[in-house]
Amino acid sequence: MNRLLVQVHEVWLETLMSAFMSNNTATKQTLFDFSEIMFRHFTWIENYCIKNGVSYDYERNMIPLKVDNLDAILHDIIARLNRVELQLVVCDDEALSFRISQDIEYFIYTLKNIPSEPVSAFDMQRTINGIELTEEATDALTLFLFEESYKEYELIMIYNYLKAHSKDIELVRIFQILIDESFFHLKRFGQMMADMGILGVPRTIAKELYVVEDIVEFLKNGINEELLAKEECKRLSDAVSNESKELAKFFDFVNYQENYHIALMKEALEFYNKAADVQ
Amino acid sequence: MDAVLLEHMMNPKNYGVLEHSNAEGIGKNPHNGEKVIIFLSVSNRNNVYVIEDIRFQAIGCMTTVLAGSIITNEARGLDFDRAEALVSTTLGMLDSVPPEEAACSEMVALALQAAMDTYKERQKDSEFPMITYKISQNCTPQGVDINE
Repeated sequence: MNRLLVQVHEVWLETLMSAFMSNNTATKQTLFDFSEIMFRHFTWIENYCIKNGVSYDYERNMIPLKVDNLDAILHDIIARLNRVELQLVVCDDEALSFRISQDIEYFIYTLKNIPSEPVSAFDMQRTINGIELTEEATDALTLFLFEESYKEYELIMIYNYLKAHSKDIELVRIFQILIDESFFHLKRFGQMMADMGILGVPRTIAKELYVVEDIVEFLKNGINEELLAKEECKRLSDAVSNESKELAKFFDFVNYQENYHIALMKEALEFYNKAADVQ
Repeated sequence: MDAVLLEHMMNPKNYGVLEHSNAEGIGKNPHNGEKVIIFLSVSNRNNVYVIEDIRFQAIGCMTTVLAGSIITNEARGLDFDRAEALVSTTLGMLDSVPPEEAACSEMVALALQAAMDTYKERQKDSEFPMITYKISQNCTPQGVDINE
């Protein structure tokens, strides 16, 4: 089952990345929708593993992305989906297996009919929406996007793991909100990377990061990191405000979103502190 | 930021776990818990140890990944003498870069040194555990810290 989980993990990420590559609104939306369904497959397989005591991890291989035309990446996604379908034989939950298999059939049918288009997501032009930033601002934005796109992926995986292993409904609610928020940020940052021609898949996350041993410490560190992220967003907003009001507004928007993340993490911290007091 | 650096950022070379490694080493920042693990597949060609394959994983920032991608790419195919020269050269350049970047490169270089030292120890004791070196302000390896 772990192999199946790894395969679904890889195809989910590749499909998400391919959505950033497309400039066609309908294609982009289809690929985003499919990637979201694939992520749900991932969580369902993970849930199967937990319920059945099957050991699993979030390991995966590097995913080569660089293509000149969209059809190249679509063919690769189809090949991966075919491999996932073959691997479904290891899943003895027939309802789950049938659901994934039927989804794959539709994905492949649809992907085969998506028109190809040239891809500029790897051209390293490093301009965004025609805005010419200074070299310093461009470098700062580049580093920010690589750091933060990984960070959002890391947070999705950590909160997903915590959610999968939580029984308390309030904690599940908090972790789900944080997952959704990180998905939104990952989509925005990924799209900006593609627009700048520097798209890359976030690197893999080490097991010791998502198997959180000290959750109180993790949440405290997480709150501090959110505070630092707020400062970084403020710095970036200031750095680009002369060249682009739109970008500056976006970084202010992300900055203010972090306040709610901090409030949720404090709520979760309170829960764990109370639980520790009871024990 | 040039195209070569961007390429390493978009597609870090040698990132991940090496399934059949025969030596591993860790470079660690004791101040913030960041670390780099390097996996080596080493062959012994008439007592000359050669790095046939190499991978790394990092708990750290993008600069660490960048340093890991560049250094491991350089180290692939080198014998230990030349790889140790690469480690020395990297450590020797740290004074000329900003402290946070120096710490990242030092962590990767020390992880590589730790992996090579682990391999040498395993020639005497095949069960020898993975070695960890901690980075330091003055960029010199501190004592050996086994499997911390």
